[in-house]
Amino acid sequence: MYGFEAISAHNGWAMAITGVLIVMAGLAILAFVISQLHKVATLLESGFNKQPNQTSEIKARPQASAVPKPPVLDLGEARRHLEPLTAGLGDSFELQHLYKLANSSALPHVHLLIRSLREAGVIIPAGDGRFTWQH
Amino acid sequence: MELFIQFLTNTGYYLADFRHVIMLIVGSVFIYLAIAKEYEPLLLLPIGFGILVGNIPFFKGFGLGIYEPNSVLYYLYFGVTSGIYPSIVFLGLGAMADFSSLLATPKLMLLGAAAQMGIYFTFLCALALGFLPKEAASIGIIGGADGPTSIFLTAKLAPHLIGPIAIAAYSYMALIPLIQPPIMRLLTTRNERRIHMPEMRTVSRTEKLIFPAAGLILSCFLAPASIPLLGTFFFGNLMKESGVVNRLAQTARTTIIDTATIFLGLTVGASTQADVFLTTKSVGIFFLGAVAFSIATASGVLFGKIMNLFSKEKINPLLGAAGVSAVPGSAREVHMVGLKADPTNYLLMHAVACNSSGVIGSAICAGILWSFLVK
Repeated sequence: MYGFEAISAHNGWAMAITGVLIVMAGLAILAFVISQLHKVATLLESGFNKQPNQTSEIKARPQASAVPKPPVLDLGEARRHLEPLTAGLGDSFELQHLYKLANSSALPHVHLLIRSLREAGVIIPAGDGRFTWQH
Repeated sequence: MELFIQFLTNTGYYLADFRHVIMLIVGSVFIYLAIAKEYEPLLLLPIGFGILVGNIPFFKGFGLGIYEPNSVLYYLYFGVTSGIYPSIVFLGLGAMADFSSLLATPKLMLLGAAAQMGIYFTFLCALALGFLPKEAASIGIIGGADGPTSIFLTAKLAPHLIGPIAIAAYSYMALIPLIQPPIMRLLTTRNERRIHMPEMRTVSRTEKLIFPAAGLILSCFLAPASIPLLGTFFFGNLMKESGVVNRLAQTARTTIIDTATIFLGLTVGASTQADVFLTTKSVGIFFLGAVAFSIATASGVLFGKIMNLFSKEKINPLLGAAGVSAVPGSAREVHMVGLKADPTNYLLMHAVACNSSGVIGSAICAGILWSFLVK
């Protein structure tokens, strides 16, 4: 038996549709639950005896404010640290390589450091996903 | 002289036929891809060598073959047929996984769910091609792009197909850099590929600690058959996030997963004995595996586009392609395609969120299909 006849005979349509609905609904519920987890976490971290006004203050705080600010850095100094690391990579390099090298050199806040250099135009695109230093 | 002739007739040279030669070439190609091209070497190297091991012709009845009871390979293969290795691999994956990006952007979980469409579409295709329902479900799960899950479900539903299904699943996982990018580019415009995702919020330790328990309860209450996979997966993650059993977490994500991967790869490779593997069914499985991967990728991307129709905050539809659970291959491809469209577009962390969701989604799908078909 082949084709639609085989699918119908083995109850395939029902299994496929039900399966899709279950997995979509299951992951949607899980997504909803984890979207609320930060509230539970806040509640647990602050303890159940918090004053209500304090809780609502935390709830009202925009999520973006939780993102840490980049450390205040002298970009020139950062470049002095990082540029020698890329010397062996040629004229251009991939950011992931720079990230690995900086990490292995135990520099702090490497991701934020590279982002700051990118945003300041100190590291510029060289095409094909590669970058170079602004001279 | 008679003794010498008898010896000769028992050698692999005498017993070999063209099917063994074909399989030895396939094994060699796997080893070549692993070493020269570095395509999923952790998997392709043990599988490739396993194919060589499994296709040395031998005299049946010596207790040498993987399908002969009491042979060494038979006992090692027991970890596959019983579902032990996939479960251990999931323990290690959990101890490696970082759910921060998923917890910061939970809506990306829907992309992981959408990518599972490939499983059910392929299930229907396999039925239409004449496969039995249990075989069709085992073939469909290839669309989850998750080797251990594919092996686990196949071991439960259609153990005679473990070889071809595992080889197809891992082969296509290794070929992700060739399969996914054209589909992503075909289904998205350049402007869509350039959509930047917002910076993620930081996730507290408490959230990371609650998630494994919440994830386990919600997922496994829905599909209890996924307990062997998701149970160990979330346990591994809790060990990692708790920070109080670092030694155990470290062992799970290194020694334990590596050991399981070695024996999983080697025995799955060895299970491809030419007389068992080279059948028309295997050809059909390979064809359907490609369909499964492609549909899974496409459905994730298309669902991302659909989400953009209803969402104020646009998401980059490329992320949908990372909804398959090939960790971290598909996330890396999404990142690279995004970077090619815009060198300042970093999608990696968001793609990892979709990847994590895909792992959970495909394990749930395996549980659902198992519960539909177990009798």
